[in-house]
Amino acid sequence: MSTRRAARSGVLRSQSPLPPFSRRSLLAGAGVVLAAALPGCGRSSPVSQSASGSAGPLRIGAIPDQDPEVLQRLYGTVADSMSAALDLDVEYRPVTDYGAAVSLFRTGDLDLVWFGGLTGVQARLQTPGAEPVAQRDIDERFTSVFVVNAATGLTPSDDLAPLAPLRFTYGSETSTSGRLMPAYFLREAGVDPQGFPGGPGFSGSHDATLQLVASGSYQAGVLNKQVWTSRSEEGSVDPSVVLHTETPPYHDYHWLLGPRAAERLGVDDLGGRLIDYFTGLSAGDPADAEVLELFGAGSFIPTEVANYDQIEEIGRDLGLVS
Amino acid sequence: MRYGGTTALAGVDLTVGPGERVALVGASGAGKSTLLELANGSVTPTAGSVRVLDADPSARSGRAGRRLRARIGTVHQHLELVGSLRVVHNVNAGRLGTWPAARAAWSLLRPQGVPDVVAALERVGLADRAFERTERLSGGQRQRVAIARLLVQQPDLVLADEPASALDPALADRALALLGDLARDRGGTLVAALHDPGLVLRHCDRVVGLADGRVVLDRPAAGLSPADLADLYEAPA
Amino acid sequence: MTTVLDRPVRPVVARLRRDRRRWAWALGAAAVLLWSLAGAGLFTGDVVNPGGTAQFGRFAAAALSPALDAGFLGLLASSALVTVAYAVLGTALALALGAVGAVLVSRTTWGRRRLGWLLSRGVLAVPRGLHEAVWGLLLVNVLGLDPWVGILAIGIPYGAVTAKVFADLVDEVPRGAHSALLAAGAGRASATLYGLLPPAAGGLLSYSAYRLECAVRSAVVLGMVGAGGLGYQLSLSFASLRWEQVWSCVYALSLLCLAADVAGRAVRRRLAAPPPGPGRDPVLTGAVVVPLLLVAWSWWYLAVSPASLVSARTAEQLAHVLGAAWPPATDGALLGSLGALAVDTVQMSVIAIAVAALGAVLLAGAAARPPGRLSPARRVGGAVVRTVLLLLRAVPPPVWALVLLFVLLPGVLPGALALGVYTLGVLGRLTAEAVEELDPRPRAALAALGARPVGAWLYGVLPGAAGPVLAYALYRWEVAIRDTVLVGLLGAGGLGALLASEIAAFDWAAVTTVLAAIVVLTLLVDLVSDRARSVMR
Repeated sequence: MSTRRAARSGVLRSQSPLPPFSRRSLLAGAGVVLAAALPGCGRSSPVSQSASGSAGPLRIGAIPDQDPEVLQRLYGTVADSMSAALDLDVEYRPVTDYGAAVSLFRTGDLDLVWFGGLTGVQARLQTPGAEPVAQRDIDERFTSVFVVNAATGLTPSDDLAPLAPLRFTYGSETSTSGRLMPAYFLREAGVDPQGFPGGPGFSGSHDATLQLVASGSYQAGVLNKQVWTSRSEEGSVDPSVVLHTETPPYHDYHWLLGPRAAERLGVDDLGGRLIDYFTGLSAGDPADAEVLELFGAGSFIPTEVANYDQIEEIGRDLGLVS
Repeated sequence: MRYGGTTALAGVDLTVGPGERVALVGASGAGKSTLLELANGSVTPTAGSVRVLDADPSARSGRAGRRLRARIGTVHQHLELVGSLRVVHNVNAGRLGTWPAARAAWSLLRPQGVPDVVAALERVGLADRAFERTERLSGGQRQRVAIARLLVQQPDLVLADEPASALDPALADRALALLGDLARDRGGTLVAALHDPGLVLRHCDRVVGLADGRVVLDRPAAGLSPADLADLYEAPA
Repeated sequence: MTTVLDRPVRPVVARLRRDRRRWAWALGAAAVLLWSLAGAGLFTGDVVNPGGTAQFGRFAAAALSPALDAGFLGLLASSALVTVAYAVLGTALALALGAVGAVLVSRTTWGRRRLGWLLSRGVLAVPRGLHEAVWGLLLVNVLGLDPWVGILAIGIPYGAVTAKVFADLVDEVPRGAHSALLAAGAGRASATLYGLLPPAAGGLLSYSAYRLECAVRSAVVLGMVGAGGLGYQLSLSFASLRWEQVWSCVYALSLLCLAADVAGRAVRRRLAAPPPGPGRDPVLTGAVVVPLLLVAWSWWYLAVSPASLVSARTAEQLAHVLGAAWPPATDGALLGSLGALAVDTVQMSVIAIAVAALGAVLLAGAAARPPGRLSPARRVGGAVVRTVLLLLRAVPPPVWALVLLFVLLPGVLPGALALGVYTLGVLGRLTAEAVEELDPRPRAALAALGARPVGAWLYGVLPGAAGPVLAYALYRWEVAIRDTVLVGLLGAGGLGALLASEIAAFDWAAVTTVLAAIVVLTLLVDLVSDRARSVMR
């Protein structure tokens, strides 16, 4: 009897620790797989949607710098309000990573994104035809605050030089207010922005910066003034963290519109209509007021590419824009 | 004595005195191993009681229990040696009942009491293998390592579960003689489960036959012939 | 009276011979560990920051009061589904790739053609050398917001690892049956099918279940780079340091891991001891049907479309990224920094593995579930240790890195310890399983001759467990090198920090260079650990 015959007749089968599966059960399994997979073609994914095909909604996104529920609520509200005003389907897509938001804007997965100053520049340079749409009133004069641990004994001052010998942390690497502009002002003050003992840290977020400075692991750090103010008002700032310096103002967050949205949605002058929508938001209107409050803004104002020239220049100096 | 739903031993009433050399005979599954495990405290009887060296081996815990168990030496059927250790450590393991933990740990790095170990290994003919890894030894050699462990343990009661199963007839004879000496030198006792009628008759004073968990024979070895034992090795019906 | 048991009395007495190679490796390992600890500044200055205990305490205390409001739990439930779907499809892809890959890289296939075997192994090192998160970041740039990002990011590197492990498992099966079949005239494929696969089936299945659990954890890391699911929620909560919410995510993740673990264990038990009698075993039938159903459901739930893999846009983006990434950056400053950062990375991984291996050896006894009846105290203790290990590996390394940075000063150490505790969670589980599979009889025999528990453990468990633990530790060392990418940023440094900077700056040419350096480092570590494992055998 050949081996193959032996195998077929079951002589060798007893070696296997696996019980035999009948052909029927395998076929049934395969059938189930197919049956379940086919309807999937028409379903929209909970994580994404193919960018090709029909026009679809206007897809808005944002770099994450808020609490999860706030973020979900914030952009749900904005999407609804925008949808009503523009008579368009608007959909919010969650993204957690600065770099991912820039890439997704480039690939066209996101049409309209709320970027920080630096990420906006990165996205615009990688996506020819992208245009800034609007910024908040506060973004025109945005600032960062340098904070120190009380144990350093430093008192509020305009001089950044005393920070040089301290263990120092920035926020996220590509944060404008947590990294880029502070590094610029440090250099202006004669402090090497990469020269802190042991190298600067990157806490990853404004809140993490606050906690790390409070712990004393890092003796000093820098964060967005808006977060500092909001945490101070909540009373959640550890008393061991004290403000050292507030930076001069610079431009920061803005809405950036991708080049392909207008054509895909078949809306002429989409940019113009978005500017009108944002600048038209009024604190007097209850629905508008909610949007403005969620953004922590008094109003939205138009913006232009030139506002971010300084950021681009500094980004190039620091090797963050290529 | 029951394991789950299977009764391994039932109604066994057996007394073994100091200095005796007792052979347990019976077919596989007759309850020989269980009887030995009861005696060294590895298992606890579900009914009845066991007294060994004036104590209940399973009831005594902690230091007193360890002291008692250190006086009982067992050669296990499957040897229970640690293959990845050197022979010297497996022999030294016989002293774990008396060694403090720190000494036991240190010995793994720098073997302690090597002269005694070598002397014991010499008696089983393995002095040249003291520092070999145990898993590199043959089955018969491992059986002799297990006996050497007993030699350094110096127990008062020697329990042996088929201690000669992997040895050729000549070596088996010597192994049994060695175990008998070990017990007798200290005025102690040997209880051995054995399969070979010849070994039983040459090395034991008393024969206890088991079948289906019951004692079916208990007589002095003198006066028994190999044919008398043959029935007991037949598989139970 | 002295009976001597042997025919000719041999007076030869052996002398203790230490295995020189083993000692050389052991001393080398100790030296590398000391060098790494010195590099972490352990001998030269303060490394502990007692001031941060309050911040660390807040993280720890939140473990007892996770966020439980209905809205957040609902969010978690739907996120968990996404994570499960990614893990299932990623694992399925990995197993398919692994099965094909195993054929291509096994010694059985190559026989004596050693060069071909080495080359095929080398090719596998590239996908394996990159962390899932790195794959995720790269794929986002090509595929955008497509579910394929998560599936491929898990499936590709896991497929490469699985191919290697499957090949090793099959290669280690004793050749007897296989040779007999070949001698009887069976073809190579059918000889493998009948002579090699059945004996290896238990190992293959057990490894597949382990991969699924790993995939759940990887899906969370991927969520942190934008693929959605539990990781997305976790990273949002983490960014705003809402520890209560972070812990809820961790618990949800632990439950998923536990489910994968329990299911895998049940199937393994059944395979090891099939119930007697004819008829189909419901557990094993389930083990085939449930994964198939899960794959189908995941495919449907994520609305995966093969079309997006070959769409024009994908090709365009791929061309964009490849065009920007090639040729790799070769400027002197970058190349110069690679060497120093590679040293940091190695030191970090060595400390991580040392911490994890030590912890695993100490905890393995308690975490293992030996057969037979156990005292209630032992059972509760075992459950507690296993839960702690589960949580250690359910908290993602970046979270560990931040909370350890509260109580340690910046440097290599917080990152190393973050990886260390995370790896301990993984290694502790693997070690406990190895201990469970040890022969329990030697230890019982030692207890029977009166050894104290410590002695019985030292002589009866440690010698048997040391081999598998060291082998797993060496294997995880390679993984730890890749994982340093996750903790590099927080002042811990290493190649991971450099990679994150270059990705943040979208300097693709430099990214290529750093990735190549990481792959080479992974390959070197793999070679060293392979040598070390062969010395131990």
